[in-house]
Amino acid sequence: MLEQRTIISSGNEAAAHAIIDIGYDGEGYYPITPSSEVGEYVNRAHAQGEIDLSFVVGTSELAAISTVAGMAIAGGRAVDVTSSQGLLLKAEELPALAGLGLPVVLNLATRDINAPLNIKNGHSDLAATLGWGWLTFLAPTVQAVYDLNIIALKIAEAVNLPALIAYDGFHTSHANRRIKVFEDRQVVRNFVGPEPPPRLSILDVRHPHTFGPYMNDDLINTKVLLDQKMDQALRLLPKIFDDYARMSGRRYGFLDVYGDADAEAALLVLNSAAEAAKVAVDRLRREGKRVKVVSPTVLRPWPSDTLLQALFTADRIMVAERVSQYGAGNYLANEIGAVLQRSGNNNLILSRTYGIGGLNFYPEDADYLFRLALNFPNVPDHEKRWKGYYQAWAGEKDYQPQPVATALTKEETTRNDGKEKIDLKELAEMPHRIAKHASCPGCSTFANLDMFLRGIDGHVVLFFNTGCGMVVTTGYPSTSFRVPYFHNLFHNASSTATGVMEMYRRFRRQGKLNDEITFIVVTGDGGDDIGMDQVIGAALRNDPIIVLEYDNKGYMNTGGQLCYTGLLGQRFTNANVGPHQRGKPQHHKDIVEILRGTHAPYLFQAGVANYRDLIAKARKAQKMVREGNFVFGRFFSPCPLNWGADPKVGFRIVDKAVKSCLFPLYEVEHGKTKLNYNPERAGLKIPVKELFTSMGSAFAHLAGEQFADVAAEIQKEVDRRWKRLVEMDANPAL
Amino acid sequence: MPDYALPYQDDLGFTNILMSGLGGDGANMAAKLLFKIAVEKLNLDGGYDAKYGSEKTGTPTDVSIRLCPLGTPVRESGPTRRPHMLSVFRDKLIASQGLNRGLQASTTVMVNTSRSPAEIRELLKLHSGRILTLDATRIALETKSRMNMPMLAILCAQLGFPAEVVKAAIAAQWPRAQAANLAAFDQAVGQATSATFEPDAAYPLVEPTTITSPIGFANMLNGGAIDALTHLNIPAPDAEPLGRVPVFTLELCSHCGLCLVPCPEPGAIVWNDKKMVAINPVYCKGCMQCVEICPTTKRGKALVEPELAVV
Repeated sequence: MLEQRTIISSGNEAAAHAIIDIGYDGEGYYPITPSSEVGEYVNRAHAQGEIDLSFVVGTSELAAISTVAGMAIAGGRAVDVTSSQGLLLKAEELPALAGLGLPVVLNLATRDINAPLNIKNGHSDLAATLGWGWLTFLAPTVQAVYDLNIIALKIAEAVNLPALIAYDGFHTSHANRRIKVFEDRQVVRNFVGPEPPPRLSILDVRHPHTFGPYMNDDLINTKVLLDQKMDQALRLLPKIFDDYARMSGRRYGFLDVYGDADAEAALLVLNSAAEAAKVAVDRLRREGKRVKVVSPTVLRPWPSDTLLQALFTADRIMVAERVSQYGAGNYLANEIGAVLQRSGNNNLILSRTYGIGGLNFYPEDADYLFRLALNFPNVPDHEKRWKGYYQAWAGEKDYQPQPVATALTKEETTRNDGKEKIDLKELAEMPHRIAKHASCPGCSTFANLDMFLRGIDGHVVLFFNTGCGMVVTTGYPSTSFRVPYFHNLFHNASSTATGVMEMYRRFRRQGKLNDEITFIVVTGDGGDDIGMDQVIGAALRNDPIIVLEYDNKGYMNTGGQLCYTGLLGQRFTNANVGPHQRGKPQHHKDIVEILRGTHAPYLFQAGVANYRDLIAKARKAQKMVREGNFVFGRFFSPCPLNWGADPKVGFRIVDKAVKSCLFPLYEVEHGKTKLNYNPERAGLKIPVKELFTSMGSAFAHLAGEQFADVAAEIQKEVDRRWKRLVEMDANPAL
Repeated sequence: MPDYALPYQDDLGFTNILMSGLGGDGANMAAKLLFKIAVEKLNLDGGYDAKYGSEKTGTPTDVSIRLCPLGTPVRESGPTRRPHMLSVFRDKLIASQGLNRGLQASTTVMVNTSRSPAEIRELLKLHSGRILTLDATRIALETKSRMNMPMLAILCAQLGFPAEVVKAAIAAQWPRAQAANLAAFDQAVGQATSATFEPDAAYPLVEPTTITSPIGFANMLNGGAIDALTHLNIPAPDAEPLGRVPVFTLELCSHCGLCLVPCPEPGAIVWNDKKMVAINPVYCKGCMQCVEICPTTKRGKALVEPELAVV
């Protein structure tokens, strides 16, 4: 056994630790809870110089995994991490990686796939991948996350298939435990091999290959190969498990079986729940019951023979899954039924869905499921079914909630109509379309929205992309929206609003609808990275909707990861500052200038530093959409939490951003640029450095001596962009 | 290695601890350090599991710590259902988070509060056990430390962790804040008030939480939609204020409305008939931007931070 040391680690940290020990060539990254931390730990090690890898933050999960594909086709070792809808967004690429035979590794901190949105555990993401040709490992503990990452790469490269390691979101990803890791990274690198086994590379210009050709009738043969590679993995894995056990003292196999060999009842359950079930096994055995828990460590290739050996003697098998196949038998229950039936067995198989959306699974829960299996069919009536849900509830029959609010009328929300003057006293009486919410203190998002909405008359329908703004407003069964609202996941709001607006116009034409409605999309700057194509699409179609971006320079809902809006050198959890990395490596994205190329009728920037300007733009925005035009507006929106800024000075930061010309107040109306405020002309322009000192710890270093060169770079870039705007303001032809 | 035995053991050998606080209180950090001490200095095993969602400053959160002798299998994850020890960073969380659920007989409860142990027992409806109260907020302010430091100190003392071991770990963890943290530590241990409550049948033991609600699969609207008119987030008039809010003096107000501009909280600044009339403490989260923007007129300044208010 080789030398190891004890560390305290979460599941996410354990995955990162393995990635660092293996010494990957590259990682593609896009944040999603609960797996975001893995890349953060890897990036921190990268910034410190502990690992040297290409760390690429993509515009989306699909971009991240496609970058990984590129790294792999070039012969590099590449890794990625995801969860839930993140995995689905990658979905186009995932079967392709298997088909192309690229041995990349994907860590999956499992999370349910759903709407309404829930970010907690569930195995529907894992279930979605089962037919995609990926080697699939299950890590029930923090320790196993580390170990299986190393094992997975070894077998992936041996058979040229991609490998996935699934561990439970939150239950394992955020569980902190004592684990063992190798003292010397080199032993891990020796185990996986210092270099991947030779395979075809796109960088081999001396012997060119065409990768990803167009294939007709031959395609079926690639499927045969996928199955053959799985069979090969089934043959090779026992030796890899043996080698790893010798090296680490920790033995893994196809299955983890715990309890009586001759158990009457077996509970088949995956990952962290299997650990809790072991406690129930101990307690039931003390009562004289013969029970065991069976938990696969390898799901693909499906270890049929080993499973058959473990299960055929158990008369009663409870298959509990953190996923459901609606209107059909459940995933594992079906597969286990098939295994047993093929060998002529007819054990009783019961299927229950449990633990969805992060509902915890304790030993008491395993105890209940064991007893259900042991007593079946002498169980309560509602349990006399082969398939069902455990932990769901019906609700109260007599529940009759009383109205607490009335719908806003056009009359009470018409406060701007035709007025030139902007009077806060009058606008103060505009009823709130958004009521009490749970944002952090001083969150600019809602200050901007509240002020903007005071400038909008009549009926409003809101669409939010996923983000802080969405999370803090609609915690079921309560809502902060007094007007109709739709959250249709991460980056789809502008296209979704287009669909609604099309029906609105149609129904109005048909005389089915008389209400006049203004459609407003609200997104973070992250939503306009991942959803950049969709907002550009809405602008190109000139759909009469207002899209508002609250630019807080990062993915704040997931904990402060790099967004392209971030400043050069800005500190992020996945763009750390250290001897080998100096925060974000590129200048800030300028979404309004990107949209300028769509020639959209009205684009603007605004902020709470100048409320008159903001209200005037809201009024103009509504006038523009009423005339059938697309509108995009961007707010500079400090995030006290992830900037490490004093919430008290939020609006002062906005003011400084405007005065430094980092965030000019301007608008582009039918192609004509107008600066609404020129701090230079007013003699109030300040250096960007003055801004950094008040923006919080994500920026404070930029004002220091060590980052003087970066600050100078930012100043130069800000001045360049500013000069361009000044010229455009002066010359309508530009 | 100091000779150490855990104060509680369930049938699996664990002492279960629950810390309840708000996002930003530092409960997670305290749990992390506690577990580090347990593993590295006292050779214990176990784990800590933070409630984690989309954690915003000021939203309720909790962290569970399980401790056991090394060699005991650590199999459960997620929050502990049956705490032996409960650490409450804000006494208002006792009712709102139902913190008495699953508490064992003879629990040790530690609360940051200005109330007495007897008052806390009533609030918590505690079956039996020992309640320690301390004003951790004041200690943190006075020592320029953070609230989690006195709370960690009192928990470590109740766990019987050797004080010198804990203090050395705190000093090593935050070298720059060492003096402040250690002062907070000492004050907490010295100033806690405690009382023991026998199982006198005043309150029964309460079963752990089973998650349920009035709306379930039988009466949920299609697609999980929310009826805004019955479920708009409107707190009860007697709801607990969220925290520190600015002091508003109506006589000094010029009703300019500037405070509305940076305010992120709809409903926090109460406006009636073109006049600002109040700050609603149930809506205001105390960011103090309104104080920053509030102009000083001839009459004075209508919005000030609470410590600066002339009462």
